[in-house]
Amino acid sequence: MNITARAVTPRMPSAGRLLAAQIGYQARLLASGRAITIGVGLPVILLIASHGTHTQTGAAGLAGYAAFGLTLTAWNTYGVRLVAAREAGVLKRWRAAPLPRWCYFLGRIIATVVVAVAAGAATVAAGVLLYHSHLTASGALGALGVFVLGAFAWTACATSLTAVIPTLEAASPILMLTYFPVIIISGIFGSISEPHWLSTIASYLPAQPLAHAVAAALGHTAGHALLPARDLVVLAVWTVAGLAGAVATFRWEPHRPAQRRPARAPRPASPSGPGAQPASTGGDIEPPATLADATPGLKGHPKGHPERR
Amino acid sequence: MSAIVADRLTKRFGDFAAVDGVSFEVPDGQLVAVLGPNGAGKTTTLEMLEGFLAPTSGTARVLGVNPHRGDRRWRARIGLVLQSTSLDAELSIRDTLTVFAGLYPAPRPVGEVLELVDLADDAETRVGALSGGQRRRVDVAIGIIGRPEVLFLDEPTTGLDPEARRRAWTAVENLATTGTTVVLTTHYIDEADHLASRLILLAAGQIVADTTPERLRSQGGPATIRYCFSGDAPVGDLPATLAPYVDHDRHALVVRTEETTGPLRDLLSWADRHHLDLPGLEVGPPSLEDAYLAAIGEPVTPEGTPR
Repeated sequence: MNITARAVTPRMPSAGRLLAAQIGYQARLLASGRAITIGVGLPVILLIASHGTHTQTGAAGLAGYAAFGLTLTAWNTYGVRLVAAREAGVLKRWRAAPLPRWCYFLGRIIATVVVAVAAGAATVAAGVLLYHSHLTASGALGALGVFVLGAFAWTACATSLTAVIPTLEAASPILMLTYFPVIIISGIFGSISEPHWLSTIASYLPAQPLAHAVAAALGHTAGHALLPARDLVVLAVWTVAGLAGAVATFRWEPHRPAQRRPARAPRPASPSGPGAQPASTGGDIEPPATLADATPGLKGHPKGHPERR
Repeated sequence: MSAIVADRLTKRFGDFAAVDGVSFEVPDGQLVAVLGPNGAGKTTTLEMLEGFLAPTSGTARVLGVNPHRGDRRWRARIGLVLQSTSLDAELSIRDTLTVFAGLYPAPRPVGEVLELVDLADDAETRVGALSGGQRRRVDVAIGIIGRPEVLFLDEPTTGLDPEARRRAWTAVENLATTGTTVVLTTHYIDEADHLASRLILLAAGQIVADTTPERLRSQGGPATIRYCFSGDAPVGDLPATLAPYVDHDRHALVVRTEETTGPLRDLLSWADRHHLDLPGLEVGPPSLEDAYLAAIGEPVTPEGTPR
């Protein structure tokens, strides 16, 4: 029969193959959704709109807009989609599939990182093409590296944050409230006059080091270090912390209010209840035999039903 | 060998026992329906067998493995159609099935699965554009694509229109012929009757019956005698044994009884006395639904006097 026929089953697909397939699948989902256009489109629009009014379309300005597009994708788009998938039961379905959990997650994260890096790169490309911003080959490579690290940091942190987002309705407000203040104090849209202590805090959050490191790469000149090590360390720490938080707190199942059994009349031990005989109101007609009497193999008699023996 | 063994399975949420000491075994290849009202513990029982929930006490074995510790290899031998999950909406049915097929060592060909669930004509449609019934059949398709040895179906047809239900049933029946062990939860008695060779009835977290549709039908409830009086029938002259069963609003006699010959004899002699024919007289078999309702806990007195 079925089981013996499976004695010579082929081997399970390898984890590497599963991961590659999952990355491809998640990337297709992202690409076919309209959500990614905001991460790619909005920074470019802002870049064009601010040109002329802004004094700088130099490395720092361009890096800021690139970081904006990247984080918008890696934080908001990714976070909202993850909560939506959880609440719709998509994650629960995947958890039930024969796919290692880490494979699903890494697939989802890597696909997002690719799109987020593309959003950052598109902004830089727009700056170079439209405004002839300075860019060397080593600077481009350095920026790409920072983009990848930054995108991992932001997706990892967003994954951990989703554990405290109860519903899809709450996703956007919570993600936005945790996002824009950080972006603004980090000077992503240009430096603002802020107290020194606030700048210090910003330098430990993942936005300012990201923009700063990208700016350093874009404005790189020979003889200087390509990337500021401190920024990379901050981003790496956020990546590790985000992943650790995600592993510890992540929920696969939709948030549901505590389920209680529907209110039912308590089962009395004494005669009562409508039974299944609405037309019978007395007389000499016998009641139905109880099922337990008639049913061999009956197990687990309910409490409160001693009469069912 | 039993594909599924549940031994005193219990799941408590706080002081609330959602499942309370449930024991049963399902042999290889059997199609079992777990029936019960909402909140009876059907889904919680299934989720313990599927490995989503760890039991508070008791043990479960599915294909010899503790489901909560089931690894990827075990998961590949199990098929699931969960009560409420969904799929990513952006891709077509065919693409979605292809991705899931890639997770299994020996999947069914996607085209064959599409035929089995009757979705071949919609294969290129985006999942997000499907009707509820079609989506449910995609769920079933994913449940069976890995050639599962055990398939769990949690209310697979809830919310479907009658035609969609029939189609889903056909898909399940097709599977049963391949030797797959199937555990199906439902609160539709007709669905269980149509599909299953065995019924496990749950109420308030406990098994109240483990039986077959035939046994439940024959032993679970009374037969029904029903007759609509013609306009001028001398209803007032009915014998005293029948008079309490006249439904005056409907101008009908409805007798539910374990023993049909007495009331029928009385009715026929009444008709004879008044030279009446009895067109439209019905004597119905015990209703499976009545038996089911009785079994899941509509109380009946020990003395046998229904109220």
